[in-house]
Amino acid sequence: MANYEGAMVELKQVSVVYGDQHALRRVSLSVEKGEFVFLVGATGAGKSTLFKLLYGETRPTEGEVWVLGQPLHRLKPRELPFLRRRMGIVPQDYPLLPRKTVWENIAYGLRAIGYNESAVRQRVAQVLALVGLNEQARQMPSQLSGGEAQRAAIARAIANNPPLLIADEPTANLDPDTSWEIIELLMRINLRGATVIVSTHNRGIVDRACQRVVAMDRGQIISDVPRGGYPIELDRLHASVML
Amino acid sequence: MMDRLRFVLLETWESLTRNATMQAAAISTTYIALMLLGGAGMALYKLDAAAQALPSQFEAEVFLKMSATREQALELRAQLEKMPEIVRVTLTPREVAWEQEKQKLADQVNLADLPNPLPDKLTVRVRSPELLPAVSERIAQSPLVEEVIDSRQELQTVLAIARLVRWIGLGAGGMLLLAALVLIYNTVRLTIFSRQREVRVMALVGATLRSIRLPFILEGMIQGAVGGILAATLTLLIAAFLSDYLTRQWPFLNDLPPGLPPSIVMMGLPTLGALIGGLCAWWATQRYVHI
Repeated sequence: MANYEGAMVELKQVSVVYGDQHALRRVSLSVEKGEFVFLVGATGAGKSTLFKLLYGETRPTEGEVWVLGQPLHRLKPRELPFLRRRMGIVPQDYPLLPRKTVWENIAYGLRAIGYNESAVRQRVAQVLALVGLNEQARQMPSQLSGGEAQRAAIARAIANNPPLLIADEPTANLDPDTSWEIIELLMRINLRGATVIVSTHNRGIVDRACQRVVAMDRGQIISDVPRGGYPIELDRLHASVML
Repeated sequence: MMDRLRFVLLETWESLTRNATMQAAAISTTYIALMLLGGAGMALYKLDAAAQALPSQFEAEVFLKMSATREQALELRAQLEKMPEIVRVTLTPREVAWEQEKQKLADQVNLADLPNPLPDKLTVRVRSPELLPAVSERIAQSPLVEEVIDSRQELQTVLAIARLVRWIGLGAGGMLLLAALVLIYNTVRLTIFSRQREVRVMALVGATLRSIRLPFILEGMIQGAVGGILAATLTLLIAAFLSDYLTRQWPFLNDLPPGLPPSIVMMGLPTLGALIGGLCAWWATQRYVHI
């Protein structure tokens, strides 16, 4: 299972309905090992719901969700934590624990899943070096810039060396240069073997990165381009909304 | 294993130090409730021991009418032995009783020439002291019975005090315990809310639900146990003071059997507190901690 070779993520005709609101409508998506995928769309397009499906925080109303070969749509609650240990999740909310230093924030996640202290020290040092936060290790989150805080959140997500990394709006509220630094970091992690899925509505970085782009609107996938920039369909939709 | 334990204990400590005022409120309510319950328990134990120690508290002496024949006495004994409340009935024939009486008073008066004035006597033993008054009443209604003598008066006084202590102790202690349960539940709930970020981080990195909930359950258990330790200490101090005061006022109280051993109070109340606190916290985590 650790060396799983199949599709990292597979959604088959997935719908999510909250009350009478369709958050996702018959979405199908497959992400293979080693891919870097941008999930783009306006606020409310369904990106966050799709992400929550991937880490089991939301269950599909219909359809199948396969992550790392596991059927999340019928996974027992007690099995979910063990699947999450094989994913790195950078959530949009609660990025860092405010009362802990950067080092402690990263160590916290590892300790919570049973790493011993020597392994914690080793892994934290490795990921701090990877994200370039060695000098900020003893700083509190309030002392970090937005980009540094996001790097720390990414470091915590990859500390367990997961084969799949999911980052929900990691460039939100960051200036263009810092946003690009974050995307570069995620692409570096991708080059080291992890499959990366990033949600964003930052047109500049999507155009510049030139990776696979999946566009969503009103709970549906409206385009899926293997290597491209920000989809023109979304521009048209935005223009029609503006008009 | 040790690293895991260390993590859980550190998380518990973090929880305990997060809402100091609420923790203090939960612990103090728990200790007052447990102190009342513990005090009531100790008093009930002592009263029960006193009731057990009362002479003939299980027995009634049934004196038959002089007109009752031996056959009637034996028949009444057989009837009484069938009653479920009664353990044993012994017949003391009037001639045996008279012989005993003559021997007892031999030094004082010569009873040899006098006719036997004593009736046949049945000694009835019941299963528990509480049953004695009702059983005596029923036996007294028999036309063969002249008089029933038991230690009802003393026994009823002791039982009345025991009832009073039980109702006050269980009533007030129970209500306060309920308040303590709600407070522990609420404190753990507030801690969960104040540690929402940690809970979320743990859930996202793949910590199991059990390991996320455990520190909160330990928090509740510690609150209960600390309340129990305070309650046990204070209960024993008050009991020692009261016992000293009362025996100086009424020296005959020294003859009563000893009360509940202090070691049981010191072990029992913190254990009870920890169990109750853990249960409340478990309930709160079931409702508010999810992955």
